[in-house]
Amino acid sequence: MNDLREGSSKPAETHRRSFFTTLAAALAGIFLLPRRLFSSEPARERLRRKWGMVIDLDKCTGCQACVVACRAENNVPVAGPAQTQNDRGIFWMDMLEVSEGSYPDLQRQLTPIPCNHCENAPCVKVCPVGATFINEEGIVAQVWARCIGCRYCTTACPYSRRYFNWQAPSWPETMKNQLNPDVATRPKGVVEKCTFCHHRIRRAREKARAEGRELADADVRTLPACAQACPAEAILFGDLGSPESEVSRLARSPRAMRLLEDLGTHPKVVYLREAKWKE
Amino acid sequence: MVANTEGKILAETGEGTAGQPPAEKRLGEPDVFKALRLWHFGYAWLATVFVLACVVAVGLYAYSRQLLHGEIVTGMRTIGGGGATWGLYIVFVIFFIGISFAGISLAGLIRLFGIATMRPIARMAELLTLVALVMGALCVLADLGQPLAGLLNLPRYARPMSPFFGTFTLVMGGYLFASFVYFFLDGRADAAWCAQRSLHFRWLYRLWACGYGDSAAEVARHHRTSLWLALSILPLLVVAHSTLGFIFGIQGGRPGWFNALQGPGFVVMAGVSGTGVLIILAALTRQLLRLHHAIRPEAFRWLGNLLLILSLTYLYFMIAEELTANYAAAESERKIAHEIVFGAYSTLFWTVVGCLTTAAGILFVHFLRGGASIGWVALAGVLVNVAAVLKRYLIVIPSQTHGMLLPYPSGTYIPSWVEVSVVVGLLALGTLLYISFAKVFPIVPVASHGPVEQPETIPAEPTRRRFLRTIAFGITLLGGIVLAVIGFALSSRFGTKPTLDPVIPYSPVLFIVGVVMIFMSAVVYEIIPSAKFHSKTIS
Repeated sequence: MNDLREGSSKPAETHRRSFFTTLAAALAGIFLLPRRLFSSEPARERLRRKWGMVIDLDKCTGCQACVVACRAENNVPVAGPAQTQNDRGIFWMDMLEVSEGSYPDLQRQLTPIPCNHCENAPCVKVCPVGATFINEEGIVAQVWARCIGCRYCTTACPYSRRYFNWQAPSWPETMKNQLNPDVATRPKGVVEKCTFCHHRIRRAREKARAEGRELADADVRTLPACAQACPAEAILFGDLGSPESEVSRLARSPRAMRLLEDLGTHPKVVYLREAKWKE
Repeated sequence: MVANTEGKILAETGEGTAGQPPAEKRLGEPDVFKALRLWHFGYAWLATVFVLACVVAVGLYAYSRQLLHGEIVTGMRTIGGGGATWGLYIVFVIFFIGISFAGISLAGLIRLFGIATMRPIARMAELLTLVALVMGALCVLADLGQPLAGLLNLPRYARPMSPFFGTFTLVMGGYLFASFVYFFLDGRADAAWCAQRSLHFRWLYRLWACGYGDSAAEVARHHRTSLWLALSILPLLVVAHSTLGFIFGIQGGRPGWFNALQGPGFVVMAGVSGTGVLIILAALTRQLLRLHHAIRPEAFRWLGNLLLILSLTYLYFMIAEELTANYAAAESERKIAHEIVFGAYSTLFWTVVGCLTTAAGILFVHFLRGGASIGWVALAGVLVNVAAVLKRYLIVIPSQTHGMLLPYPSGTYIPSWVEVSVVVGLLALGTLLYISFAKVFPIVPVASHGPVEQPETIPAEPTRRRFLRTIAFGITLLGGIVLAVIGFALSSRFGTKPTLDPVIPYSPVLFIVGVVMIFMSAVVYEIIPSAKFHSKTIS
């Protein structure tokens, strides 16, 4: 009897052990599979990137070429004079007018203000459906098709850099054939914002890859439409994640400051200015 | 069992002299039906319905304009550019969800503390909660730029990281369903009563009654479930209203909103406005249906005292808030506070203070005199609701028009006719639902549940039946808890990458279904009949 019992217990134990081994392997496979499927060299390269922008206010002439270039590049709809007057206009890149001091010692500083692409973005936190998110390169992106138009992000952004489409987008007849095919137009009822011209980044990366090299600082220096259009070269674009990049070097300069730094949003747009700000 | 139900109709709707406690007396059914005017559509009622329907139609027309042209037809504008991007819709979302507070919380309190004088208004309170929550949900939809995307994407992608999640799942899902369950279970006795007597739609009453037979065991079960429901709804209610407050309270970049008092303030203000609306509703229903003997003045004394405490608490909150902000807050906070108390919004602010103080004064005198003047309490109810709407306006708007941390120009917000029409249309729709319900179902309880009998007097249930009930209840409750936990964990990704989508699409639905199942367990527990005692169902 004893022999019989021993004889029968051994295979059972083996079965159990093999079952647990298979189960563990299956579970490990389930967890590892997606990573293996989706991980690739370019993705890892992207993870290191942290796109940022430096705007030199001492160079900026306030010509607003950046504002115009941004509109043209990103198919920003034209609200018309009446609705723009009514504050329904959309400006991915805008000019913030800062008055300093008081008469007679009065100065005005025109400050180009795109989305700050905060590392700790309040808009991303509040979006109920994840229509806005921080992508792997640090760009605060927006999925137009998912946006439900609750405008929570618009109220949450301390920089007021998000715009709601109050009406269906429209352009003057003459501009209709000039829309940029690389950027989707947005329907009425969704929120839109600056994307750091991510379609241009993608194109530059593809070009670099085709040439068999990594994306270099020089490739992206004036990549976004606003930087490209700036006649004074006051706007520079680059990788804040790389300490050697020009934007990183400038961001470390004593002239550097970020907007509303004490909120802890960690903006990736850095301003340079020599003079101290007056009350 | 049938005879038992018949014998317990309260005589409160019949004759009796004022000032005397309601006497229990057997009444013929026609009397109660006549008193409550069930299925009796008089000219006044039809005219009211016609007017309300016209107002709803205007609201629908206005909303169609908005759907067609976009929200350019509203008075809302880009924030920072000189306007408010959230306007009257959000003000009324808070208002509607706020007044839903009173209903179920009072029904719960009435049950928990056994306040007999308040029992006749319990159904009104529960109905108020349901109607107000539905109106609140519709108001959210009216505000959305992409309402269809909202209906599809919220269940699919909702993330607990956003304060909106609480409003969507706990308020619109859990709280609405919990209130519905409470309402449904509390109304079964009356539904059974109506099923026997009504000349119309008996099947509908039978459906609601779910075989209720007023047996001692059923009454005991209902007392038990309503106690547990009340106990679980009250904390849910605090959580739900707080999440609504946190939508504003945790916005670090918006001066005036960023305030730890928002959550508690929303709970208290919800109590103030909800109790106020309930007082107005009870007074109107009492007057219009001449239910003077069913709804006693003592009920109003009770409600008045509750409103007094809540109004004083809110006034205290306001003083604490404005003192802190005006005395020592950062520049941007002080600017908003100054704008509200002395600047562009001062008229509204002092109207709020005036209304709340006057209401509190009236109620205090009322309390001191120990009387029960329904007119005065109702006036206080109206005043606090004027204050509630304006205060919500003061919470939502000024922080957008004047609450910029960067030097953007200040703005203004004036609601357009579209927004006003939609909101008034929703108010009319709510009223329409309320008065329609009162025409088809007794708005005050007519069939008493009877005294709770001692357990030993209730005959023991067959073991198999009890086993079935316990198992079904346990599975629903545990299943609900498990689903809610899994749904929440999958939606929030256990806090590892909360900015990403839910692990499985529609996990928020799992969470909502879990919460719904938790409350559904009360229904399961209560409606499984004890076969032995319930062989004769109501037909």
